[in-house]
Amino acid sequence: MMFSLLRPICPSAKALLLVCCMLASSAAFAAKVALDPSNWGHPEGENCVSCHEKSSPGLAQQWHDSAHKTAGVNCLDCHQAEAAEPDAIEHEGQVIATIVSPKDCGRCHEKEYEEQAGSVHAEAYAIIRDRIPALAHNVTGAAMQAAGCDQCHGSLVKVRGDGTLDPKTWPNSGIGRINPDGSKGSCSSCHGRHAFSKAQAREPSACVRCHSGPDSPDKEVFEASKHGMLYAAQREQMNLHADTWVAGKDYTAAPTCTTCHMGAAGKIPTTHDVGLRNAWTLNQPVSYQQYLVLLADGSKLELPATAKPPKRGSELEKADGSVAKVKAVISPDRRRTVMSMVCLECHAKGFTEGFMTQFDNVVELYNSKFGEPAEAIMAGLYERDLLTPLPFDEPLEFIYWELWHDEGARARHGASMASANHAWWEGMYLVGRNFYSRFLPEARAVAGDQAAAIIDPVLAESGKHEWLDAPSQANPILGWMPPPAPAADPMPVPAVEDGPSAASTTDAGTAVGAAQARAVGAEMPDADEPGAAADAVEPDAAQAADQAGGNSADAEAD
Amino acid sequence: MIKLEAPQFITRHVLFALVAGGIGGVVFMFFLLEFDHYTSSNAFCTTCHSMTYADDSYQSTPHYNSPSGVRASCGDCHVSEGIIMATYDHAIGTKDLIKQLFGPDYDDPVVNLLHLPEAAFAARDWFRKRDSATCKRCHTLEAIQGTRANTAAIHQEETEGKSCIDCHYNLVHRHVPSEQTFKREAWNAMVEEEFGLEPGTAAELLANE
Repeated sequence: MMFSLLRPICPSAKALLLVCCMLASSAAFAAKVALDPSNWGHPEGENCVSCHEKSSPGLAQQWHDSAHKTAGVNCLDCHQAEAAEPDAIEHEGQVIATIVSPKDCGRCHEKEYEEQAGSVHAEAYAIIRDRIPALAHNVTGAAMQAAGCDQCHGSLVKVRGDGTLDPKTWPNSGIGRINPDGSKGSCSSCHGRHAFSKAQAREPSACVRCHSGPDSPDKEVFEASKHGMLYAAQREQMNLHADTWVAGKDYTAAPTCTTCHMGAAGKIPTTHDVGLRNAWTLNQPVSYQQYLVLLADGSKLELPATAKPPKRGSELEKADGSVAKVKAVISPDRRRTVMSMVCLECHAKGFTEGFMTQFDNVVELYNSKFGEPAEAIMAGLYERDLLTPLPFDEPLEFIYWELWHDEGARARHGASMASANHAWWEGMYLVGRNFYSRFLPEARAVAGDQAAAIIDPVLAESGKHEWLDAPSQANPILGWMPPPAPAADPMPVPAVEDGPSAASTTDAGTAVGAAQARAVGAEMPDADEPGAAADAVEPDAAQAADQAGGNSADAEAD
Repeated sequence: MIKLEAPQFITRHVLFALVAGGIGGVVFMFFLLEFDHYTSSNAFCTTCHSMTYADDSYQSTPHYNSPSGVRASCGDCHVSEGIIMATYDHAIGTKDLIKQLFGPDYDDPVVNLLHLPEAAFAARDWFRKRDSATCKRCHTLEAIQGTRANTAAIHQEETEGKSCIDCHYNLVHRHVPSEQTFKREAWNAMVEEEFGLEPGTAAELLANE
């Protein structure tokens, strides 16, 4: 279990060393630009501003209000291009590019550029590139890739032969955009053009465009959590415009997305690798923990923790087929340690560890009870040609997709950020409902007479679905209980052998008992009315039945 | 009363020649005017099939279809004003006719598109050298109002040292990058993609001309 790997948290030099090693930086806040100011302030930039104040006054005003303007950074400093660049255009006498890529921003913001390169954000398009057509193109149409998928994941920007940007791929500020200069990402995904306000990027709303909705409802999860509650109530105490923004020092009112996933806290430096502190991957059919491998060429790679960690100095093949040397490997428990150190700015160690245990338990429950069995059942159906390899041409494929991609992800995200509602009602409850009322029945229908061979062994092996084998275990949650046992019946009942109690009859849970219950219900004239049904089991008989079924705790809770 | 007496050298023949030459000159001037006028018309220009491609894009722009009904013909933009310059432009323009007859097959849409960038660069140069004189036949800088709030201000305050063509290109004909940023390989690839040709076909076509 993950938690057992979590090392004692030690806010000392050791931890600092760990973090330094990970980030190659000890700055506790966004890095100041190291370049000399003589590198910017392009003399022609004034002309851009003069005209754009008239042609696009909103854009120009945003820049006027920006820290860029204060520092003397003008339009051309970011937009200038070499004529040989693929997307270079001539504009009013200057050679510029419309797209300012992370590489361009990285001319000054070097540290941030290096950190985001190879992050799960920068790779957001590359990761799903091959999968897009199955859903966006087959189920809907290519228009949805531009208007949907790519707006968050980023597009593969196409510069047409006439120098214009293909509207199938542009405008786009998706975070994994593949830019004409080859760099991946889009700074403006989070840092709104053209003000690039620190305060704006620190707000939870900076993430909402993509982290909302059915599959990664982090906006909703955050808002429904205690963290979101405190943020909403105490936003004016967040010190969002501060130069440095270290949790526990510059603000204590509440955390935002940035605080935990990127922000500086105590001795933890800020990072633009947003996934660095994530021990789990939560958006897979089955969650797994991951190593973060830092490669000598500056790129990164995530590997499942089930495999042996790669050795430092060894060579590793990347997704694109190229080979790079391993510079450092960050284990999942180290990633968790960094995240936990953020928590410690406001929470006690025991509280933090307890919370992480609760979170890990949910992920492991999801994996073992639903994720792994559903994955195994689907594999069984594919292997036996009971499902075609083509995704989404059979109803079961949608059911399975929603089980892990939507409901399952919601449950796991809900638990990770402490929204009870999303962990349960919007999450795991729906996973369970789907699994038992849609997935399994449909899978059995698809499997036909092979269901016993494909499905039942998987369920049995997981050891989590035995409750289905006791169909007579009654519980008043749905407002109905078996009628009082014969012993409590004032009418004389024949053939009660060995004087069994009402409890033992209920316990036995036989089909006969259920049949009797139905028969009695049918004889009661008002049995269809919920009130009547409730009356029938209250008060004494219900208690007796509850105790007999071992459900007294539930009854009290109700 | 002053008696006009022709000089000795004005003989009957000379007088006849002068009269005939004068009438001939006037006729010739009328001919040139008509010639320039006709050869500036859309109908004349599109008698060559190769010009119909330029005509297609032109017909989708405000220079062809303006709300006011003003329509700029080919010659309004591409032939200078005044009989001397107009005639000069047409004389120079005969090189296009020669290329049409003896050069590459510009009637072929692929060949035509492959050569479009050079044609566009030459046309832009032509406008620039004349300080966009033909634009100014209709457009007066001081009078430009536009429909957006600051169009007038931009044209009053941001145009010093600039000619219309410096900012306003790719207005009427198919989009071609600036010469400075033009990339032949990318253009060829675009043409190949557009016409479903094998990669490399465009370069081969150009090499074999």
